[in-house]
Amino acid sequence: MSKKLTILITIFLFIVIGLVPVIAMFVKSLFVGGHFSLESYSLLFKSRQQWHLLFNSLFLAGSTTFITVLLGVPLGILFGKTDLPGKKIFIILFVIPLVIPSYILAIAWFYCLGRSGIVSGLFGREIAVVTLNFLFGFSGTLFVLVSICLPVVIIFTITYLRMINPKLEEAAKLSGQWFFVLRKISIPIIAPGIFLSALIVFILALGEFGVPSSLRFDVFPVESFIQFSAFYDFNAATASAMPLGLIILFILVAERLFLRKKTTQMTIAKESILKISLGKAKPFLFIAVCVFTCITVVVPLAILVKKSFVLWAYKEAFIGSIDSIIRSLLYASAGATLIVVFGFFLGYLLEHRTFRFSYAADSIAIFLFALPGTIIGIGLITLWNTRATNFIYASAVIILFGYIAKYTALSTRFMAVTFSQVSRSMEEAAQILEVGWIKRVWGILVPLVRKGLISTWLVVFIFCLRDLDITMIVYPPAHDTLAVRIFTLMANSPEEIIAALCVIMALITLLPLFILGLVTIKRW
Amino acid sequence: MKRLYFFIGLCLLIISPGISSAKEEVVVYISEDRVFSEPILRDFEKDTGIKIKPVYDTEETKSTGAMNRLIAEKNNPQADVYWANEPIRAIVLKQRGISIAYISPSSEGIPTIFKDSQGYWTGFSARARVFIVSDEKNAPDSIMDYIDKQWKNRAVMANPLFGTTTSWIASLFVVWGDEKARDFMEKMKTNGVKISTSNGESTTLVVNKEFAFSLVDSDDAVNAIRAGKQVKQIYPDQDKNGLGCLILPNAVVLIKGGPNQKNGRKLIDYLLSPETERKLAFADCAQIPLHKGVDTPADVKKIEDIKTINVNYEMVAKKLQEIQQFLKKWTKY
Repeated sequence: MSKKLTILITIFLFIVIGLVPVIAMFVKSLFVGGHFSLESYSLLFKSRQQWHLLFNSLFLAGSTTFITVLLGVPLGILFGKTDLPGKKIFIILFVIPLVIPSYILAIAWFYCLGRSGIVSGLFGREIAVVTLNFLFGFSGTLFVLVSICLPVVIIFTITYLRMINPKLEEAAKLSGQWFFVLRKISIPIIAPGIFLSALIVFILALGEFGVPSSLRFDVFPVESFIQFSAFYDFNAATASAMPLGLIILFILVAERLFLRKKTTQMTIAKESILKISLGKAKPFLFIAVCVFTCITVVVPLAILVKKSFVLWAYKEAFIGSIDSIIRSLLYASAGATLIVVFGFFLGYLLEHRTFRFSYAADSIAIFLFALPGTIIGIGLITLWNTRATNFIYASAVIILFGYIAKYTALSTRFMAVTFSQVSRSMEEAAQILEVGWIKRVWGILVPLVRKGLISTWLVVFIFCLRDLDITMIVYPPAHDTLAVRIFTLMANSPEEIIAALCVIMALITLLPLFILGLVTIKRW
Repeated sequence: MKRLYFFIGLCLLIISPGISSAKEEVVVYISEDRVFSEPILRDFEKDTGIKIKPVYDTEETKSTGAMNRLIAEKNNPQADVYWANEPIRAIVLKQRGISIAYISPSSEGIPTIFKDSQGYWTGFSARARVFIVSDEKNAPDSIMDYIDKQWKNRAVMANPLFGTTTSWIASLFVVWGDEKARDFMEKMKTNGVKISTSNGESTTLVVNKEFAFSLVDSDDAVNAIRAGKQVKQIYPDQDKNGLGCLILPNAVVLIKGGPNQKNGRKLIDYLLSPETERKLAFADCAQIPLHKGVDTPADVKKIEDIKTINVNYEMVAKKLQEIQQFLKKWTKY
């Protein structure tokens, strides 16, 4: 099989699995009672509620992005460029909220700030009125989303700082102190990376379902889910997704025009980076970072552990959930494997530009990644819920399709970056010796990018494992994952069991992160 | 080669539920809270050897997600049985031609008011709409207390757009007629009745003494009392000429064209049995058995001891759809 054919088949399958359901959903929404109608869309523009939702979604995503950049860049510089003690531990702690299901943090803060929460217990019920006002609505949703998205900016800042040629900073140091060097040289150089991270945070916040639905803040993804699941108003659910779709397209165009070349052409500097000595400020900064880490990460996790700290809760939670745990691991493993295969070929396409439309495939992947999972889920039901395709709709394949649609963008970008770090000479030499494409893939490319493949698999595995939006909508009977199980058990279940399930969920998600740490720690 | 076999095996494992049909299994969609329904379904598996394949609902969709999924799957049914947490959803499925009639032998003894005359749905283990009141001497005993000036700004109820509160309002429209019911709603507004997000929140507000009383589901009230909170449960309008209290049973439905109809019937028989009702009465959901003579804990009243609103649930379901727009407007006051 030739290289071009393999890549074409990959693109075709990705489009069928990911894009066609969304198109099918859109087309279906244009027909009411078998006749073409734009009624849902005209209602959309007339409805004040929709404009309110649009404002809420954009305001939440914008505020989250602004605050995460404001906090994440200084933290990234502290962890990536200074002699602050315990940097690696801080990085690991900050990454935890990103890799566990988002609503778990919301639950933890509810146990802390809710009416019968820890704060209310300590300071009296009057304080609960204040804490509830903070937690439910915009402020609480923003706070939780910032703690979830912060690691994205931190990691991008650290990564791009490693790409700065130290000679530039050395030259600038002749003219001023480190603050001057950072302001005039380092930050302008890494600005494309910061913008890219801001874009990712914006997309993640815009499509977030778990936190706003748990903390009752009205945004488009929650509205789509409720329109479909609670009212079965298919057209309204689709129409309510369209403004988001348009915003995402706009973001894609902006990224294509302003960021893509700048962010993909950077490579890690061969020279070791220049470190900033914090001097007398070191203990103060260390304490400040400790306090901040405690507030955003340690406190909610500690609350969950404390709440679940009874043996019966773990016993009951584990015995009742063992099937869901196994399914979660199985589906996330299968999903990650398939997504890495897609990402391998699409990443290769993006880096080697095998076709003229190389960027188009990547743009589709990013578009689907940015779409709320609930929309992809509705699209999958629209397309596959037929007798002829029941073997897909009634099996875990429908969940895997959802994972592929949503998370292939991650593997594509990661593999593109991995391929960019690999010399093309070996593959070209094999090609000259007329070694076939499949043999080149197995014999040369895969061994060369092996570490990248493993890292990508682990990252995608974590995202599949924590997925709630898609799985909640499409899971077939007896196929619920642990994330879904927790969500469906939340009503009226003992808090100890829910907390224990959240801790179990966090642990099984963090285990691969620990492995990822072992794989990558040597590189750092 | 071993890897290839492993991969093929994994694929077959994943798609197998989609192509299997001859197994001893039953697919059930459930709107009742998972924490209460799951143990019953596990007992069914143990007792019969028939595997349960469940899809559970979530509070986020106000427990209508499973019903809507059944509607979406009308032309390609996946479920055999639907366990609804109130009869209105079962009636909607009947109206849309998604369920089929089945009169279970276990339904004998369940009062006729709680089941469809043609067998499209059958009620069992019910919740009542009761008052939860803070521990005060002068407690309300009628829903008319919602419009009594004595309780101005001191009463709360869950959002009437969702769940059992909608059914309660719709039942008032059926029993009283539109004019009287609308007047009652307007007077509630004037009397400063607070709207909470759910019955659970209403319960907490009363437990915390932020409000004097609220109409909630009996399981919410019983759970608060069992948790040692200083509150009381009162069945409203129980005097001789009183309106009675609304009873909302679970309802079980056989789905048309489901893949395992025979096992579906067995599950329905099991759910409607007095033994299941007894289990649900002693569970934390504290539901009221509809068969007479079933054992209940001291804090769960027997159905024969409750004066109930005599209402036709089909009419309530119809009215519920009619008053949606009115309720949407009303809730924005």
